[in-house]
Amino acid sequence: MVTSSDDKILKVEDLNVSYQKLHVVFDVSLKISPGEVVVVVGRNGAGKTTLFRTISGFLRRDKGTILFKGEDIGDLHPYEVALRGLKYIQQDKHVFADLTVRENFELGSYATKDYDWDRVLDHFPKLKTLMDRKGGNLSGGERQMLLMAQSLLGKPDLVLMDEPTEGLAPHVIDDLKVAFKKIGEQTTLLIIEQNLPLTAEVADRIYAMKEGKIVAEIEDKKEIKDLKFEKYL
Amino acid sequence: MNRLSGYVRGPFVLVVLIVIARFLFPSKMTFLVEITIFSIYIMANDVLYGYMGMVSFGQPFYLGVGAYAAAIYLAHIGHNPLVAIVLAVLVGVATGALLGPAFIRLRGDYFALINAATCGMGLFLLEKILLPITNGDDGLMYYSRIHATPLLDLRKPDQFFWFAMIVLFIILILYTWLDRSTIGASFRAIKMNENKMKFLGYDTFKIRWIGYTMMTVLAALAGSLLAINYGFVNPSISAPDRAAEVLVATLIGGPGSIYGPFFGTAAFIGLRDVVSTFISRWELAMGILTIIVCFWFKGGVWGTIQIIGGKIRGKMGKASAQNP
Repeated sequence: MVTSSDDKILKVEDLNVSYQKLHVVFDVSLKISPGEVVVVVGRNGAGKTTLFRTISGFLRRDKGTILFKGEDIGDLHPYEVALRGLKYIQQDKHVFADLTVRENFELGSYATKDYDWDRVLDHFPKLKTLMDRKGGNLSGGERQMLLMAQSLLGKPDLVLMDEPTEGLAPHVIDDLKVAFKKIGEQTTLLIIEQNLPLTAEVADRIYAMKEGKIVAEIEDKKEIKDLKFEKYL
Repeated sequence: MNRLSGYVRGPFVLVVLIVIARFLFPSKMTFLVEITIFSIYIMANDVLYGYMGMVSFGQPFYLGVGAYAAAIYLAHIGHNPLVAIVLAVLVGVATGALLGPAFIRLRGDYFALINAATCGMGLFLLEKILLPITNGDDGLMYYSRIHATPLLDLRKPDQFFWFAMIVLFIILILYTWLDRSTIGASFRAIKMNENKMKFLGYDTFKIRWIGYTMMTVLAALAGSLLAINYGFVNPSISAPDRAAEVLVATLIGGPGSIYGPFFGTAAFIGLRDVVSTFISRWELAMGILTIIVCFWFKGGVWGTIQIIGGKIRGKMGKASAQNP
């Protein structure tokens, strides 16, 4: 096990990932500090989801290191990564469709031994009224809320979200924006997002990806607010 | 207390209904015992298929494991049927613990077929390799070696009936608990989206292993009850060509439900017995019923009962609201 005393919560260095012979992620390095909201932007096929799936343990790296809280997690299984406090919310918005919202919560709690639902539901009060509804009967926005709420059980140190607002109505995105900000005050967020105005509002820092590489890191708040990062896409 | 009664009420009602049927139709006691034992076997398959979505074409192997564990004990070693049942359950645990880590790595077709292959090999083992112990095709007869236990004499059909009711009652309570517990929810969640379970922090391999072992234990228990009830076993109990009937009964009953296995078994055995009195190929009627269930009644017998019950409750609710 490689350890580091660096204060970064996540440190990825020279990461390379392939799907068999198809090289998808090239020498990617990024660092996340505790409490940051960092957004990864890029066109479809830029390698963003592959990067997230590798960090969360679902894909194996070819080369490079993934340090989470100083520990190399590159060879761990997804469930081991999750239990260490790094949660990943997939792009597909799949909840457990045949289970109720309450049962979905119970599964999240049982894995993490965190049964403090009130803390989580404060961010998503609407879910309180949907506890007995089957996951399959929720709207897209409600599903996204449930996924985010579920991931917050166990007080994770870092949450990875893959395009959380994709396909959602504007008023739902507004609600989620508020939730992102509140959640961002409690935990570190690394988000893939294509919605540039939303990115400009929530991001402390941005990485732009193109063709499997990180082509820019934007820290300047004014540059972020003015959507200057669009030129990298 | 309420929670406990929630687990007990349904199983109690079902067992009482079976007991009433036994007194209303005394000649059908054997039939009721057969349904009871077979439904435990179907519950085993339901854990695997109904809850976890894993289809196995080798279930008769696991039934045979329990039946032969009990039969070998009673034919060669001891006389106490309760010890034979405990032994069969332990052999069921060992089977799940040993085969599980290898088998549950496989998915879909491969899992189904490795079980079919195991069933075929098991049959060969019983017929040929273990011939000195199993007596090969002739089977084992040990009825006269079974001794009476202090409370019930399981050699007597009417007393075995009560024993079967006690076992069914306990198993149904445990099955109700499973259905409502987090482990039951995690089985269903794995069926729906295994990757998401991993992201939540679950070691899904262990969960599937637990489910697989529950299946082997329940099947072994059912096998041991069959062995004691008949006082005889032969290798046909493990024949691979009987694998389909397990899946059909599970499907007809309503997969992934508490009472589906019982009603599926009752429908399957009932139809088989009725149709076979008129035509020798009762499978024709079973095939038609299976097609009907697949196209129009996906929730099976139990699912349909629940839908009808829900509609009746809805109408009664409306009527009482109009006439307060």
